Amino acid sequence: MTARFLPSRILPSQHRSVAAAVVALAALIAFPLVAPDDIYRQNVIFQTFLLAVGAISWNVVSGYTGYVSLGQSAFLGVGAYTVAILSLEWGVSPFLLSPLGGIAAALVALVVGFIVMRSRGHAFVIITIALLLLFQTIALNLGSLTGGSNGLTLPLPQWSADFQNFPFYYSMLGLVVLAQIMSMWIRRTKFGTGLVAIREDEAKAAAVGIHVVRYKVLSFMASAVVMGVAGGVYAYYLTFIDPRGMFDILVSVGIVLAVLIGGKGTLWGPVLGAFIVQPLNEATNVYAQGSQTRLVFFGGMLVLVVLFMPDGILPTVSRLLERRRRAHKSVLSIDQERIAQRKPALALSAERAAPNPQQPLLEVRDLTKHFSGLKAVDNCSLAVREGTVTGLIGPNGSGKTTIFNLVTGMMRADGGEIKFAGERIDELHPWERAHRGLSRTYQITRLFKQMSVLENVVAPLPEFRWSHLRAGGISGAEADKAKELLDFVGMAKFAQERADRLSFGQQKLVELAQALMLDPRLILLDEPAGGINPSLIESMADLIRDLKAQGVTFLVVEHNMPFVLGLCDPVTVLARGSKLAEGRPDEIRKDQAVLDAYLGEPEPVPQ
Amino acid sequence: MEQLGQIIILGLLLGGVYALMASGLTLIFGVMHIINVAQGAFLVLAALITWELWKTTGIDPLVTMIVTAPLMFVGGYVVYKLLLERLRDSSPSMTVLLTFGLALVIEGGMGVVTRNVFRSVTPSYFNSSYNIGPFFLPKPQVYGCLAAVAVLGLLYFALTRTWMGRAIRASSQNLDAAQLVGVSATSVAALTFALGASTTGVGGSILSVLFAFFPASHYVWISRLLGIIVLGGMGSLPGAVVGALLLGIAETVTASYISLRWATVVFYLVIMVVLLVRPQGLFGTRLREDVT
Repeated sequence: MTARFLPSRILPSQHRSVAAAVVALAALIAFPLVAPDDIYRQNVIFQTFLLAVGAISWNVVSGYTGYVSLGQSAFLGVGAYTVAILSLEWGVSPFLLSPLGGIAAALVALVVGFIVMRSRGHAFVIITIALLLLFQTIALNLGSLTGGSNGLTLPLPQWSADFQNFPFYYSMLGLVVLAQIMSMWIRRTKFGTGLVAIREDEAKAAAVGIHVVRYKVLSFMASAVVMGVAGGVYAYYLTFIDPRGMFDILVSVGIVLAVLIGGKGTLWGPVLGAFIVQPLNEATNVYAQGSQTRLVFFGGMLVLVVLFMPDGILPTVSRLLERRRRAHKSVLSIDQERIAQRKPALALSAERAAPNPQQPLLEVRDLTKHFSGLKAVDNCSLAVREGTVTGLIGPNGSGKTTIFNLVTGMMRADGGEIKFAGERIDELHPWERAHRGLSRTYQITRLFKQMSVLENVVAPLPEFRWSHLRAGGISGAEADKAKELLDFVGMAKFAQERADRLSFGQQKLVELAQALMLDPRLILLDEPAGGINPSLIESMADLIRDLKAQGVTFLVVEHNMPFVLGLCDPVTVLARGSKLAEGRPDEIRKDQAVLDAYLGEPEPVPQ
Repeated sequence: MEQLGQIIILGLLLGGVYALMASGLTLIFGVMHIINVAQGAFLVLAALITWELWKTTGIDPLVTMIVTAPLMFVGGYVVYKLLLERLRDSSPSMTVLLTFGLALVIEGGMGVVTRNVFRSVTPSYFNSSYNIGPFFLPKPQVYGCLAAVAVLGLLYFALTRTWMGRAIRASSQNLDAAQLVGVSATSVAALTFALGASTTGVGGSILSVLFAFFPASHYVWISRLLGIIVLGGMGSLPGAVVGALLLGIAETVTASYISLRWATVVFYLVIMVVLLVRPQGLFGTRLREDVT
């Protein structure tokens, strides 16, 4: 197999890592049978499995989605308490009840997710710490249910002593395998691609039609469910649980450490990390007595890892491998000829009625947005008729980009209304606007940097469907369409390249292809010709004309006047946040008010 | 009614102390956009140092702050230069993880070096109080609150009247512009962090008299402080003061009318509810939705 560069899959060859995992799994299955008397090591390995389950599940929400949490052990505790309480109440084996632990944890994640997933960065980590401590306090204070600080004692296992702890060992190993399969499956699906898009640039992800709230809450739940089941098994294994042990922030820290060391966001990093961290932890338990030394160890490790190897082992290794490979690679260039041929090769899939030029597709009325004292957009009204390429020009700071942000929903307006195809959209989420056929590009391109070009182009979703979530990330009609679009903009050769390796102009083309994936009725182009080389500018204009011929409407912000006046009709001029003039390009060229706005007003003549 | 009045008085006295403790955290966030999760551990460390000084020399804890504050200042400076400066371009979550790791090291370190038991400083006046009409004002609370208010006043003076203070405020409002007019971002950041840490020197000394503490108390303390600055608005000094007074009262009210055990839950709930409903808090400005 030729070594293709797949940036999101971290190891150069998936097959090799799966083969290594199978060998390791066989050895782990065999170990208790080969060394049945080595209870100590079996217990250490059991703890490692538990850590691996935590690490794999944490990686889904923190590695893929990018929401770093210190509250993962809360789900362990919720699972453990659910199973312990129910098993004492009903007299049923905790093993049978452990799936209920998973469900309880998932429900907690659902409720909590809607709250905490709104805040990013700082706030999220803080909230997860508060959440864990809150749960611990609740478990301590609700003595009648949880036994308070006295804890709960579970029934002892009923099986024959010959089996020792084998059932625990194998069930936790089973959970590791299940969690890993879930994690790998998620990463392969559209769901996983969406999560990574959210990690890379959440606002952009929302703007390309990804229902970010559902995605985030679902990833939180997926992360919780396995941890909850593990909590049930763990409670049975311990036969005694108490709030401090179950809602222990050190368990969370161990999980975070394992993933950071192995490689955040990678498929196998969490497992690798667990097998590194747990033995080290065990060593400190044995050689340095006491829980205080463990604190110093864990805290110190966390500090060192964050400072010196935040990327982890697997990404570092794959970077080195890749550097070796890239040394032999030739430089790619844009397929200028392909663009130059200008055949309308692209057939946009959406069936739509012939554009009605009298009908405003986008209608903005009395739109207002201020940043503290500054009125960026001030009672602005404008319309874009269907089937046109409408220009939006104006001096710097006249509010052009802010209008784009308001129309696509990246910002909320302070007043006024926005209608798209006759429907009010100003209260809709960005992804809902995208689903209605509104798409945009950015002045400074915002591709998902860590993804390949092809992944970037397939990421947009023209609608939300539950069945979509489990479809392959790059598969089916979408993948074909994405390749066709890349071909259309002349970037097909770059499909497997990582987005952040492209030049600025190349990124602009990819972003246009990305915007086209939504089957948009209206595309907002923010300086399509800004900062790209002159020969590309003409190609860009040709692409836009091609698309216009196929019924796509454009609103274009641009400072390159020959480009605008040659391409756009009509042209709207903004100044100080509101509309100054509107008309055909030749009218605008002569308009005195426009010239004044750009070149400064003449001195007032004293009467 | 008298009981409620008494509870509110106690809450305000407590709030005054909280205000000082939270000022450092909010100052650091305002300038550097770092949440120093180790701030609680700094507090407990300063309290422990105060306890040791009091135990060996018998000096009043409100006097030892003359030692602990500069000590924590130097400590904060070193921590910034050694650890945080390297993370200036990392994501906020990584800085939170780093400072959390630091908190664990301090917690464990305190446990290793001294015995892991509850301590509190008990000067001669710790059980006496002033009586005004029907109300009583415990002397330690009164002294603690007065000391806190005095130091807060000093801090306010330093921020508004000195060149360094203006540089700090300028950096917290617009870092780029501050750099353009000659403010060195790294030295301001280091000084802010050190200044923020030094407030825990004073706060820790007061803490050692008002509360029993042990190494793991830092979780409770950081939760309190976060609750306060989240409510007041992250980065806002007046917000920290108002948030501290409100939560001081909320805590004493909960402890008196419900149960002492649920008093800390107030802070966890405040953190979550405020971040959900009004992320900018009472006085903070919501971080602008930057889109370019």
